[in-house]
Amino acid sequence: MEGAADSDTPVTERSAADRAAALARLLHRDCTRLLELYKERESFLSQHAPGGERLVTLALCPEALSTGEQVGHVRSALRRCMGLLECLIVREVEEMGEELEGEYESLRKTVRDRLGHLLHSTGALLEEGEGGCPPSPPLQCTEGQDEVEASGSFAAKIWTYRVLLELIHWTDSASQTLHLFHSEKHGQQQQLL
Amino acid sequence: MKMKEMFMSLLPLCNVTGVGELPVPRGLTLSPDLPAQTLSLTWQSDSSLFDLEIFHTELMNVVLNETVAVKADPVTGLHSWTWHSPLPLECTSHSARIRARNQQSVSQWSPLQTIPGSDIPEKSESFMFPQDKVVPVGSNMTFCCIVKEKDDFKEMMYGRQEMSATRLSRRTYAITVTNQPASGNTGTNVICCSQRLTLTGAVVFVGYPPGDEGLVCETRDLASAECSWKKGRDTRLRMKRSRTKYTLNGRDCLEANERKTWWCGSKVWEESWTLVARNPLGTVQLTDSAQLTDRVHLLAPVNVTVVEVEAWSATLQWSWSVAAYKKLEMVCQLQLFAHELSSTRNYSGPGLSSVVLESLWPDVDYTVTLRCGSKHSFWKWGNESAPYRIHTKMDRPDALDVWIRMDSSNTGRVFWKPLSMRKSHGALVGYEVSQSSAEEDGRTPVSVPPGNFSYPIIPNNSSDITVAVAARNPAGLSQPSTVTTPAYRADSQLSVSKLLGTNGSFVLSWQPNLNASNGYAVEWVPTGCSGLCPVDWKKVPESDCSFTVNSDSLVAGVRYTVSVYSLSTGAPTLLQRWQGYSQEMIPSQSVSELSPSQTGSDVLLSWKATAMEHQRGFIRGYTVYLANAAHLDLIANISDPEVQSYRVKGLSPSSYKFVVKAYTSAGEDAGSTVDIKIEMDTADMLFVGILVPLGIMFCCLILISICCYKKREWVKKAFYPEIPGPKVPGDWSSPQGPLDVKPSPHSLVHIVENPERDFTKEGLFPVPEEEEESENDNIEVDTDSDEPALLRYYNQVVGDGSHSNQVSDSSGSSTASVGSTQTEITYAGIQSPTSSQGACRGGGYRPQMQSVAGPAEPQIEFEADFQDDALNTGYKPQCSWQLDSPEAENFTGSLGSPTSVTSSRFLIPESSEEKPQPSNTWFHNFLSGKS
Repeated sequence: MEGAADSDTPVTERSAADRAAALARLLHRDCTRLLELYKERESFLSQHAPGGERLVTLALCPEALSTGEQVGHVRSALRRCMGLLECLIVREVEEMGEELEGEYESLRKTVRDRLGHLLHSTGALLEEGEGGCPPSPPLQCTEGQDEVEASGSFAAKIWTYRVLLELIHWTDSASQTLHLFHSEKHGQQQQLL
Repeated sequence: MKMKEMFMSLLPLCNVTGVGELPVPRGLTLSPDLPAQTLSLTWQSDSSLFDLEIFHTELMNVVLNETVAVKADPVTGLHSWTWHSPLPLECTSHSARIRARNQQSVSQWSPLQTIPGSDIPEKSESFMFPQDKVVPVGSNMTFCCIVKEKDDFKEMMYGRQEMSATRLSRRTYAITVTNQPASGNTGTNVICCSQRLTLTGAVVFVGYPPGDEGLVCETRDLASAECSWKKGRDTRLRMKRSRTKYTLNGRDCLEANERKTWWCGSKVWEESWTLVARNPLGTVQLTDSAQLTDRVHLLAPVNVTVVEVEAWSATLQWSWSVAAYKKLEMVCQLQLFAHELSSTRNYSGPGLSSVVLESLWPDVDYTVTLRCGSKHSFWKWGNESAPYRIHTKMDRPDALDVWIRMDSSNTGRVFWKPLSMRKSHGALVGYEVSQSSAEEDGRTPVSVPPGNFSYPIIPNNSSDITVAVAARNPAGLSQPSTVTTPAYRADSQLSVSKLLGTNGSFVLSWQPNLNASNGYAVEWVPTGCSGLCPVDWKKVPESDCSFTVNSDSLVAGVRYTVSVYSLSTGAPTLLQRWQGYSQEMIPSQSVSELSPSQTGSDVLLSWKATAMEHQRGFIRGYTVYLANAAHLDLIANISDPEVQSYRVKGLSPSSYKFVVKAYTSAGEDAGSTVDIKIEMDTADMLFVGILVPLGIMFCCLILISICCYKKREWVKKAFYPEIPGPKVPGDWSSPQGPLDVKPSPHSLVHIVENPERDFTKEGLFPVPEEEEESENDNIEVDTDSDEPALLRYYNQVVGDGSHSNQVSDSSGSSTASVGSTQTEITYAGIQSPTSSQGACRGGGYRPQMQSVAGPAEPQIEFEADFQDDALNTGYKPQCSWQLDSPEAENFTGSLGSPTSVTSSRFLIPESSEEKPQPSNTWFHNFLSGKS
């Protein structure tokens, strides 16, 4: 019976990592589609990709070593992305109201929900023993927003574009890191067996 | 540019004339309003007329040069003038100067005053102006782009459209957009791109001012007010800052400003209302005024319920959510929905909260909705209550409509019509039929299932029977309907009139009958029907003596028997009977048993009418047609339908097809067809059978004779050619002695004993068998006989031929001729004596053709081969040319060549076998007349 109990645990861990990786892949596709929809709405973005600095940097967490630490590293970035996305939604709803219920608005909500699930599932993985980076402080929507608001709607559109780029980047990173994490866990289980 | 600078430099010199007379305006200050793109100039001066000049500072482009009359403010003593710039003032630095003017004299220009733009070196970043401007649809607008220091301008785009830019300064470029269309949800993007791909942009919101209209205020609770309006045209301005804002009598309409509703409330009734709708592009003001009692819009009744339900009525009750309604004089409208029983009823009263619904129908599902309004100064119906369902109770069915029909004197059937929903008052469970007579009363009722609508009756011969029928449902039994058996009257006993339909209906009328105390009954039934017939009837009041049987109950093309009975307390009495079609159609079947019978050159056609059910109309007559290949020829039209035969007279011998069709008023049927062949008499037969072929044969003979005469030269060459004399070296012209032409033992002509044959003919010399055989023997044993060499050689030739099995061999035909010795002589193949003589010469000629002569074979073997060949080929006369014969084909080129007496082969073929001539050559020559 003990043996059976021991064998259950690795299976659960492996499944959780696998599920998180699959969710990250799905989220990456959603974010890519969300950017496509945004480009359809703001057509100039298809012709002129704005430059600028990255919105989410990894200053909070220096060079990651193990895969588990990398997961924590990516999770910190995703939390930052989540904060940016929520600010984006608040700003857009406030500006445009809730009348618009197109595909963009629907997918925007889906991305927020799935990103929340991904943060939760990666958090659960890290609680299993992996350290990772210390949690980054929650983003306040007012940070930097005043500048965006002051510089007008065009700046807000550029900022939204950058947020979506960050989402694409970090969900892709999360997908790869979680896949690696799952593979390593799976290899360790195989060696134990 | 240089010209302009020269002009500017000269300008002060031109005004020297007035110098010293007018003081220069003092203290010019510039106050820009950047969002409004206006520049306010203030100065001090004693004059009231001024020249103003405004420049784009960097390039000193004059953007304004105007003379204005400006009076000083009496309080401050300052002159003030505002200029609206088409270009955002941030785009580049602007400079202004002013001078006083009095008639033609002017003062010196004031010093230039400048407001810096965003393109000064201190601001090195890129910019675009104006930002987030809201403008009306169709307006013109100028955008400027300030490129980053050390960067170069590339392009500017308005939406998806690349625009042509104008340079305003070192770093500033501008575009002007005219007649702007309405923006999308997030505005129209205007972007500027530098050579280093630095992206700068602005958003412009192009829309409409508010278009709201139709403000109406009303009260729902007899105290507060609710004002609503129509939204009007979409402003196309979605952004929160540019949405339309509403105020009602100065108070914000929060719900409307959130775009959730298009009404605005007030806790108290104010009798006068003003709604202001405002967005960045304009303002609309709507007003309304009314007394509270004139604008009562009641809420929906709540808690609608039924307190008492009966079969024919129900009591409905409800309540109000507003207490003030209880004293309001109101009118309520109830709408009852049921299948075919929908109705609308109005009730009124103060604070109405219950009504009794009368005149409902039993066992019916009703759905009730209710709405009310103020009775005095009715404004509009209030909100409708939720649907409420009422199901009324059942009641006993109504009495049935009963009729009885006699099929014969001793069989009948009672019929009743099914009850409609309004009359059944509940689902029927069956019928009860009872019958009584004067002799036996009160027979036990018989139950009949609800799906049956008739019941058989066997009347008593001695007295009338009265049948009572009642319907039963769960609520009880209906009143019984009674009917007494009428006397049976067959059609044959009556004078049945013909009845013609009118537009698919029967229009009936009859003489009034004094005995019809209970009116009349009109019955119609398909003619000839018995038993379970589709009997239909209608009872008519005694005051009516006419009735129309509608087309709904009649079938076109069906013959109906229509009867009118008078109804009294006793049995119905038949008054009148008709037969007719509501609508006649063409017969569905053709006449039957159509048969022809010939009498000399006449044909009698006879037929029988089709059955009545297939007539589908009154037969008006028959038409007789003679069918040709493509059409029918009308022979006769028999308008009397009783006549069912027709005689066709004077037909010549041939085959005929007759078509007979019956017709009604709707037209003819498809027709029956009959064929007959008219034979000729004996004299005609003789004439046609004998004389005509003889005549044809005679004509053919004459034609052949003419042809042969015309081609006689060719005929002669083909069948009697000239045989050329042999050309040999030496003196052959005069033989040493007479040539012995004794027939050879192997002559090709064998004489057969035939008693019927006349051997006395000239030219034929039979050879005795014995002699032939003996000579054969001699040949066999004595090869060195003293027989003439020529004849001996001939025998050798024949013998060789007998050994050859090749039919195509030139000796083959000779062999065949030899075979003829076993058969009878054919005269056609024998030449005249002259020819025979030629043949003898031919015998002498042959050796020229035959280079090798084989030794003679034994006679026995020869005999066997000879007989076989004889059987295979037989005798072939010379004149019997056969074009299809291979031999004939090979020698078609030999026409005119000498031929052997004993062979059909030409002795001197003109062409070799390697060069066959076309088989039709001689025939072609024949046709072309060549000899």
